[in-house]
Amino acid sequence: MFSNGDEIFKISRLTIVWLAGIFTIVWMVCWGLGIALPMLLTSQLGDKAALTNEILRAATPVIAILVFIPINAMFMVLIERRALALWTVRKGPNRVGPDGNFQTAADAVKLLLKEDITPTGADAVMHTFAPILFFAPSVFGAVPLLAAVTNNHPLFHVLNLPTGIFFVLAAGALPVVALVMAGWASNNKYSLVGGLRSAAQAISYEIPLVLSLITVCLMAGTLDLVKITEQQAGGILNWNLLGGGALTGLNNALAGGGAKALATSYFMGPISYVCAGLLVISLIISFWLYLTGACAEINRIPFDLPEAESELVSGYNTEYSGMKFAIFFLAEFTNLFVVSSITTVMFLGGGDNPIPPYILNNIPGIPQMVAAIRDSYFCSTLHIINPETFFATLWVIAKVYGLVIFAVLIRGTLPRFRIDQLMAFGWKRLIPLSLIVFIIVVFAREFVICHG
Amino acid sequence: MGQDMLSTLLSAPNVETWAFYLLTTLSICLAIGVLVDRVVIRSGFILIGVFGTISGIFLLLSAQFLALAQIMIYAVGITLMVVIALMLTNPRLEREQLIVYNDDSLPPLAKLFASCKRNLNLWVAVLSFVTLYAALIGENHWPLSDQAVSQDAVQTLGEALVTNYSIPFEFASVLLLAALMGAIMLAKGEPKHKVEDGDLTIVDETKKQENNLALQR
Amino acid sequence: MANLISRAFGGLNEVRRGLATVFKHTFREPITKNYPDEMPDLAPHFRGRLALTVNPETGDHLCISCKQCERVCPDKCIEITSHKSPETNKLELIDFKIDHGLCMFCGLCTEVCPTLCIINTNDFEMADYSRESLIYDLKKLTLSQDESAFYFDRKEMPLPKPKPAKPAPAAAAGAAAKPADAKPADAKPADAKPADADAKTVEVKKPEIKDDAKPEVKTEEAKADAKPEPKAETKPEAKTDEPKADEPKA
Repeated sequence: MFSNGDEIFKISRLTIVWLAGIFTIVWMVCWGLGIALPMLLTSQLGDKAALTNEILRAATPVIAILVFIPINAMFMVLIERRALALWTVRKGPNRVGPDGNFQTAADAVKLLLKEDITPTGADAVMHTFAPILFFAPSVFGAVPLLAAVTNNHPLFHVLNLPTGIFFVLAAGALPVVALVMAGWASNNKYSLVGGLRSAAQAISYEIPLVLSLITVCLMAGTLDLVKITEQQAGGILNWNLLGGGALTGLNNALAGGGAKALATSYFMGPISYVCAGLLVISLIISFWLYLTGACAEINRIPFDLPEAESELVSGYNTEYSGMKFAIFFLAEFTNLFVVSSITTVMFLGGGDNPIPPYILNNIPGIPQMVAAIRDSYFCSTLHIINPETFFATLWVIAKVYGLVIFAVLIRGTLPRFRIDQLMAFGWKRLIPLSLIVFIIVVFAREFVICHG
Repeated sequence: MGQDMLSTLLSAPNVETWAFYLLTTLSICLAIGVLVDRVVIRSGFILIGVFGTISGIFLLLSAQFLALAQIMIYAVGITLMVVIALMLTNPRLEREQLIVYNDDSLPPLAKLFASCKRNLNLWVAVLSFVTLYAALIGENHWPLSDQAVSQDAVQTLGEALVTNYSIPFEFASVLLLAALMGAIMLAKGEPKHKVEDGDLTIVDETKKQENNLALQR
Repeated sequence: MANLISRAFGGLNEVRRGLATVFKHTFREPITKNYPDEMPDLAPHFRGRLALTVNPETGDHLCISCKQCERVCPDKCIEITSHKSPETNKLELIDFKIDHGLCMFCGLCTEVCPTLCIINTNDFEMADYSRESLIYDLKKLTLSQDESAFYFDRKEMPLPKPKPAKPAPAAAAGAAAKPADAKPADAKPADAKPADADAKTVEVKKPEIKDDAKPEVKTEEAKADAKPEPKAETKPEAKTDEPKADEPKA
């Protein structure tokens, strides 16, 4: 059974070490710029430092993201290659560094040192501008998620927008322009076809994607990401994945509210129970609709038609090399990460612990551990970390990378769609399904007390 | 007038004012770029820039939702337009031949008329701009509201759409529905061979196909 | 509608089964080998580089110049030069050339060979810098005694009967050419690298080759083996006039 223990051990070690490294570095940058430096300046300069501190605080999240993206993309490429190798019964990268763990670093260096080519007859300005336009949304689109995934840490308060999820969606709509632009500006037929395909695909699949998210927003009654996360706190039964609050009554009953809690939440009796069941089913469907649409949006297998190697050489990025290609590559993996984060925040309860507190607090040792962390020197004096953020971030990391790994598993399993199948699947199946789910949710939520 | 503007600009320490002028200049420049550029597709992409700067102006007005809707709708919409432009035009830049108008033989009045006719687009643009400008100046006041901008602008917007502005809203949706139906009708196409005895041949063909299907079964 | 729903569930079930199958691979050892570090364990009848065997016991070249392989080869990549010996009135092998750039490794020549002389070895590392160096001549094709023994054993071929008559001079020349390829018997099967390299860097490799050759070959033959080597370098030119000279005799 476990004849492959060695390889599994290597992958898990790689994941844990890398993730710990990534997030320690990013958090040290955040802490240094946003907390330690202002504290130091205030103690030295007094009131004069106020403006500098403001600027530092505003710049912190952006710098943190810019530090995070390249390291994270390097890690994700490596883990994707290793996990794919595991699932296709191969050996992954194993030459560069110990166990091939420096493979992506070497690739990055190679890409940066490569000659940057603009093909003859290409529109040079557009050719340069396309990767920028592709990469920029993945940076600023991820910004409102930061507050939601860190349990509303004071450093990232500023970034929380009242239109949070809409901002993320608007940012997610921009890369399509960049892909068409890249395809057209390359002066290459394969690129052009890749660009056109990506336009057709992204526009078709954006409808089910947005509709599924709207369903969640309807249940939550807000677009604010932090509010959506906070509503889902308190165990797996509160998550939007399971009915968006339709099971909160059950949760309360289990927590000790008894039959009274059930009666307040499901005030219509049997009709309410049926509607709660419908809501649970609808939101689970919604979750899968979102994952499908997101897969298509970020051009991952099985929806990677814009860059299908066997049909178009490499699609829209055929003519790109060096830095520009690196940016495309970086943005693709960052998009995967952003999409997983959105799923985590919208459906999987953000940084919420799946085990509800009434069970967790009864396990001996855990409350004491939390208290010990809270009272330690790091938290109380240096403000390096507070336990809420720490645990929330741990759960977010686990959920997000779990989804990333799931995407890799899907990549290892499913073959690529044909273009007409893709369109038929999008327009004839997903869009009607998402509309049906939406309508069911609109009516069913009237009979149950939900988050919204 | 110009000096006034400059002095207000310089005296204003407000970042927003600066940002507004920057965005406006940028959007006007880009709009001119859309008109001037000879490559259809490139001007399409520049148009996205124009809408981007306009959404920036919306952001300055604290209308976050509108700004994002602007980006989301126009980014995708214009991409579609660019795609259609790609498919319907020759993407290679071909220099249009300079058309030389030779109307010396015409009488002066007719000459003037002909030149007006040629530059019809320009005249329409100028006229509509003048009309709009006159309307705006003549109105002399925008209905300013004393209310503070609500944090939850989405709710306000939604309520306005289904109460005060429900008729325009419904009208817009009917228009969109009509456009959708029109698009379907256009895409559906006509049946082949509409000749005199076309109906007969079509019937024959369908019968043949049915026979073939039956045979296959 | 019901059909649609059942189809959707069927499809989802298929996807789930696929995902489960792929996920189960987590607990399976990779099939891939760390190739350059560990050599693949190939089947005995793997069709790799073509080679000519000698009698593992006596060292006689097994080719009888019957040209069956040349005739059967679909790619016409085999070229045999032979002449009729005036003494024994038998065909004598002069040169044997296989263009591995043309060969498609169908193995028909090995099927047809009456003396089990031409075989497919387990060697597949034949990458080279020019097409000319893929044309192997008699010297490069002929295996050493030990290698022949290895392949006869591995492929479970019946050992050839020793020749009753005295060995023909041409066969001796062929045997003399062998040691260039010779390796210790317990080495990896037919390592092509030294053979390839010596076509280009003859001077550098020579002492090493002789060291290898000495224990097995008589001193006279060791001297003789210096002769064919320059010939290998000037192969492309020599190739053109050889057949013309030889064909009328045959």
